[in-house]
Amino acid sequence: MSSNVNTIVVGAGRIGSNIAKKLQKENRNVLLIDKNKEKIAKVDDFSGFVETGDATDLSFLEENGIKDVDRAVFVTDDDNTNIFLSDICIKRYGLKEIYIRLTDSRKIKIVNENVRCICPFDLSLNEFSDLMKGEKK
Amino acid sequence: MKIVIANGMHSADYIIHKYHNRYNDLIVINNREEACRYLSMNNDIPVMYGQATRESDLREVGAENADLFIALSKNDMENYVACQTAKKLLNVKRCISTVTNPKNVDIFKELGIDSVLSSTYILGEQIRNAASIENLINSLSLEDEKIIIVELKISDRLRVEGMCLKDIGISDIGSISVIIRGQKSIIPNGNTQLMADDKVLLVTNEENREAVLKVFKRKK
Repeated sequence: MSSNVNTIVVGAGRIGSNIAKKLQKENRNVLLIDKNKEKIAKVDDFSGFVETGDATDLSFLEENGIKDVDRAVFVTDDDNTNIFLSDICIKRYGLKEIYIRLTDSRKIKIVNENVRCICPFDLSLNEFSDLMKGEKK
Repeated sequence: MKIVIANGMHSADYIIHKYHNRYNDLIVINNREEACRYLSMNNDIPVMYGQATRESDLREVGAENADLFIALSKNDMENYVACQTAKKLLNVKRCISTVTNPKNVDIFKELGIDSVLSSTYILGEQIRNAASIENLINSLSLEDEKIIIVELKISDRLRVEGMCLKDIGISDIGSISVIIRGQKSIIPNGNTQLMADDKVLLVTNEENREAVLKVFKRKK
């Protein structure tokens, strides 16, 4: 893998692939990983690096340069996987900038305080409250 | 002892069977309906259908302050989060996790899970033992594998048979704590001779393990 990749995104679902595209448009070198080949194949309009494999296998992550990146985004559809990956990347690789997606935002309590969590449920709820208050149209 | 058994089917059944008595307070939680039915039918014990990775479910079954939490799911990530939830949020004293991928044994330990077990990992260790020395009976690791106790049998085919302990070249790398000879157990000194059919218990550490086992190779 090219050594100038500075961002790894794990999980090529809708959110993962769109985060990867967004970062790439900001001229960051992005590697998008998913264990499912078909999901990777569906990602269009993305010219960054892609790789198929199991990110919970650390040797696979290491082969793909996890030690040298500036940031990682873990947005697989499994909260437990995202939490595990954030823990090991802090402990073993000292990675400072980590984002994860949590479908169940209650799990935030066991996530390391330096990890930034994206919780779709909470976001929707907040959005609803704002809409109700008439702050947004 | 208050023990929480999270997920698993046959493995959970076995543990319940073994520890379901008046000395233990067993709490069983499982996220598969089929497993819940199986476990409650086979054992006279309530089984909660719920998520062991969810704090509220664990509180509902009364898992707080448990002495031991055992995670038996086939999904390693689920076991990891269940153990962390138990430890960080429910004040559980000790967590044991099984893992399907043997590579996760060391990783989970690094991340603070007290004990991590993988049948494939154990198999790997056993093969290593069996391959390195034919007379090895048993090997036990303590203190996160820093200390190793090895039990082995002396046969007349071994180089050390008939030698005094001070001459076998082990003093810097391990220590023979006891020799079992027939019905007798002998606390040895440097002049104690090793005889065929002796059983020897020796203590060493991980760094010297291979070197110690080399001492007990066959005669050339």
